[in-house]
Formats: sequence, C-alpha cells, structure tokens
Amino acid sequence: MRTHPPFRVIALSVAFTVLTLASQALHAAGDPTRGAGGFAQNCAVCHSALSGKNKTGPSLFGVVGRKAGGVADFVYSASMKQSAIDWTPDKLDAYIANPKQVVPGNKMPFEGLREAKEREDLIAYLTTLH
Amino acid sequence: MQFYFSSRPWQLRTIKRGLIIPVSLLMLATVTQSAHALPSFARQTGQECVACHVGGFGPQLTPYGMRFKLGGYSDSDGKEGHIPVSAMLRGSWTHTSKDQAGGAAPHYGPNNNGTLDEASIFLAGRLADGLGVFVQSTYSGVERKSSLDNADIRYARKLTLGGKDTTVGVTLNNNPGVQDPFNTLPVWGFPYASSDLAPTPAASPLINGGLAGHVAGLSAYGFWNDAVYAEVGAYRTLSASALNRIGITDGAVLSSPASYWRLGFFNDMRKQNWSAGVFGLNAALQPNRSGGPSDKYNDIGLDAMYQFLGTRQHIGTVNARYTHEKQTRNAAFAAGDAANLKGSLNDFRINASYYYNQTWGVTAGHFLTSGSSDATLYSASGSPDSAGYTLQADWTPFGKETSWAAPWANLRLGLQHTLYTKFNGTSSNAGNNNATYLYGWIAF
Repeated sequence: MRTHPPFRVIALSVAFTVLTLASQALHAAGDPTRGAGGFAQNCAVCHSALSGKNKTGPSLFGVVGRKAGGVADFVYSASMKQSAIDWTPDKLDAYIANPKQVVPGNKMPFEGLREAKEREDLIAYLTTLH
Repeated sequence: MQFYFSSRPWQLRTIKRGLIIPVSLLMLATVTQSAHALPSFARQTGQECVACHVGGFGPQLTPYGMRFKLGGYSDSDGKEGHIPVSAMLRGSWTHTSKDQAGGAAPHYGPNNNGTLDEASIFLAGRLADGLGVFVQSTYSGVERKSSLDNADIRYARKLTLGGKDTTVGVTLNNNPGVQDPFNTLPVWGFPYASSDLAPTPAASPLINGGLAGHVAGLSAYGFWNDAVYAEVGAYRTLSASALNRIGITDGAVLSSPASYWRLGFFNDMRKQNWSAGVFGLNAALQPNRSGGPSDKYNDIGLDAMYQFLGTRQHIGTVNARYTHEKQTRNAAFAAGDAANLKGSLNDFRINASYYYNQTWGVTAGHFLTSGSSDATLYSASGSPDSAGYTLQADWTPFGKETSWAAPWANLRLGLQHTLYTKFNGTSSNAGNNNATYLYGWIAF
C-alpha cells in the first residue's frame, strides 16, 4: 500500500523549509562588512552595488532573490538568460564558487571564489543590497 | 658630424651647448611617452577609470586594464552606439635649478616657463568584436606642431589551448613596447608625464623610445591561462612621404626589419598581483636613406612589477626594469662620430607608488644609466652616465564610480621634482638640471 500523498507532501515541505532556513541561517552567519571588502576585491571592477548602474557586468543591487538575466537594460549572454536561475543564496554560492560550471557559456571572466567563508561573507553583503 | 637629429628643435640647440647626443637617442620622435586613462574606454565598458588604472588615471594598468588591452580594447557593456573618440589636454609650469641660457626652447624663457604641453585627440575603442584601436594625434605646445603620437591597432580572439583559456592577437603599432600590457617598459613607465622644457640625460637605450613614431611594426601575441605572455614582432621605418604626412621629420632608417620580442609571467591573486619578464629589441640603423653602414643595437632587458590592490582603498605598486644595450657603431665610427666601434649601455629604473582612495598618490623613482666611455660620442665628459630620482605627488579627484562627470571627464593635478646626482657623465653641477614640474591634465 502506498504512503498517503498529503502526508508525503507535508513531510517534503517541512524538510525543504528546514533546509532552506538552515541555508539562509548559514549565509546570515556571514559577515557583511568582510563581504563588502570581498566585493571590492573580487567584484567591484565589473559590478556596481548601486541600483541601475551596469558595467561590463550587471548591477548587483537586489541580486539576492532576482531571476538570472533580470536586469532589464543589461545585455546578458544567451546562456545566462536561458538558465532560469533564481538567485537564492545557495545558487549564488554555487555560482560564485564556479561560474563556468553552473552557467556554462556565461561571459563573466571570473574563475570563482574557492573559499566557502569568503563566499558566505560576500553573500551576506549582497543580501544587504536592497 | 653625422647625427640622427631629432625633430625637436631644442634638442639641436642642446648639441650647440656642447652636451652629448648618443646615436641611440637621436631618433627620438615627436611621439611622447605620456599615456592616458581614456573616457571613451570608460563609456564603452561602463567601467570607471579606476577599473583599468591605478590611481584612477593612466597609464599604470590594473589586471582588468591589462586584459582589456590584450583583448583588443573591445570589451564593452554589450550596447551599440559608443563613439570611440576622446581628447586630452595637459598644461604645465617648469622651474629648473639653473636658468637655461638662450631659453628652455624656442619661444620660451630661460626659466619658470608655463606652457600647453599637449593637446591630443584619440580614436580609442572597439571597432568590432575583438578589434580595437588606440590611436593618438598630438599637438605639442612646445614644438608648435601636430603629429601622429602613439598608435596601437589590434585584433584578438579567445580560445582554449591545452585546456586553458588563451587570448591570441596581433597588433600593428608605431613604437616597440607601446603594445605591452605590463607597467614596466619605457613607453608606459614612470614618470608618466614630464617636462619638455627641462634638460634630460642624453644617453638612453634604443628601446626607450628611440624608434617611436618613425616605424610601423606587426607583432603576434598570446596570453595563456592568464599567466604566460609571449610576443614576437618586427618593425620597419615608414617611408619619407608617410612620415611627412603624419608630421614626423625623417631621420635614421632601419636597414633591415628590427625584431622585438617579449616573454612575461603574470600571477593575479586579485588582492595582489605580480609579473616578471624579459624583452628584447634588435635594430640596425643607417644615418639616412642614402645607404651605407649601420649602427647596430641589441637591447635585452628584465622587468618585474608588484601591485597590492586590496579593497582599492590603499594601493601600492613597485615597477622595475633593467636594460642592457650592446652597440656596434659601424656608421658613427666610420663618420668619426664615435671613437670606439663597440660600446654598451645599462639602464635601470625602479619606482614605487602609493595611492589612497584612488585619489591621492605619491611616487618615488630612481633612474641609473651607465655605459662604456667614448670621448667622441659623449663629447661633454666622455661618459654616458646619469643618475637621479624623480618624486611626484598627484591628486585625481574624479574617475570613480560616483565621480562628477563620470564617465565623461577626468582630471589629474601633479607636482613632480627630478633631481640628478650625475648628469651626462659628471656629478659636479648635475643639480643644475634639477627640475620642478607642476601640471594639470584633463581627459574627456
């Protein structure tokens, strides 16, 4: 006899919520002040933290929670536009760690930020850009 | 006596004063060694000046600026309609420790001269995917004439080589080294601006601008894995009619193509970066277009640079270069302009800079030129030796993301002092040539 569908849905939902909260708590543990420094070192040459200011990369103001390819007046690569990614902290973490693996063919000339703690701080900073 | 006279009239007058003019310097063209952060590049990319340049004003390149150059000046924000045109002006005031008898240059007094140094217009930016230009035409306020200045037209592509990202390209340019991505070769070395109205040492290796503007060269380069840079190319003298059309006086002629080569290693750790390399130029110059023996120059050099960029609030850089030149003076010796058939020069430069908030900067540099004696070639003292220091403080208020008029204008104000411990072979009275140079430089 199969498991009752509503029960399984509830269990999966609870598990997803717990994992999401845990993930956000993990990123929330990042230090946005250190992340601002990391942004200046690694990102600011090509990305602005100001709203509406695009460089060779799109503005990262409001990037957390945004859809990939979501800045209206920025010219994205086709692969980025077609990626359909929602920039959750987890997705950002994976992308920043290895951009070419997460979105093959994207035009960002960045090898990735290997240190998990640096990414955590950076995402904590990006979360403040709203 | 046969000399490869510069087109600069006050250099001819320098000879009359009895100072030495070695063959290697006498081809010095109207091409200047100043360089620029160009707002047309900023408009094309959406980047601010500080993205490409240390201190927010050219020419010291950051790693992003190096890659932009190697990529053919063609990286952009992806939008069409950018006009690849910029302009710049630089005006200055120069004081020398001792008055220059007869005037610092025609139309100028013996000391404390103000002038328009340069007014330039640039075609600079992306023409097509991977294809870009940096071509400068300059009016010299001191010379009172216009000429083609630095020119670098390049095409680059990105590919994968040995599993690693690689940029390959070709460049057509008019000055060996103008195409180099690092901050150490003479074309882009410190001081980035200097007075045309102050005495300068006469002896210098050929690669220090000796062919600038008189030649056209084609070279191929590759930048592998963001680490290894290699380039090889050749130069020929432009025809007399071509030189006339671009406003440059005819002079010595390469009797065969001059070869240029470059090898560098680059390590970008984002927070900091460094490079080290070797370079070379081999040339044979005839005094004029009527043929005859050639003076041969074999230049080989080592260079290194270090940049601490951090969060860009505190930036420190060190650039160093050593060049050894071997000369075989077939033409000068035959004409009686040199006492020795063979000779050599050694040229060492090092400078360190600090910038605060990409606005306030100080730079200190040391230069040392030495070489074999020749009583005829270096008639003033028999020695080519010169040494001294250059100190500079500058202020660059714009060029940042939120700056006034960004990305349409940039400004630098600088105060520079050059002091000599040895000048054209003599230490006594070397300080008479010390110079203070106050300048204002605007690009738009």
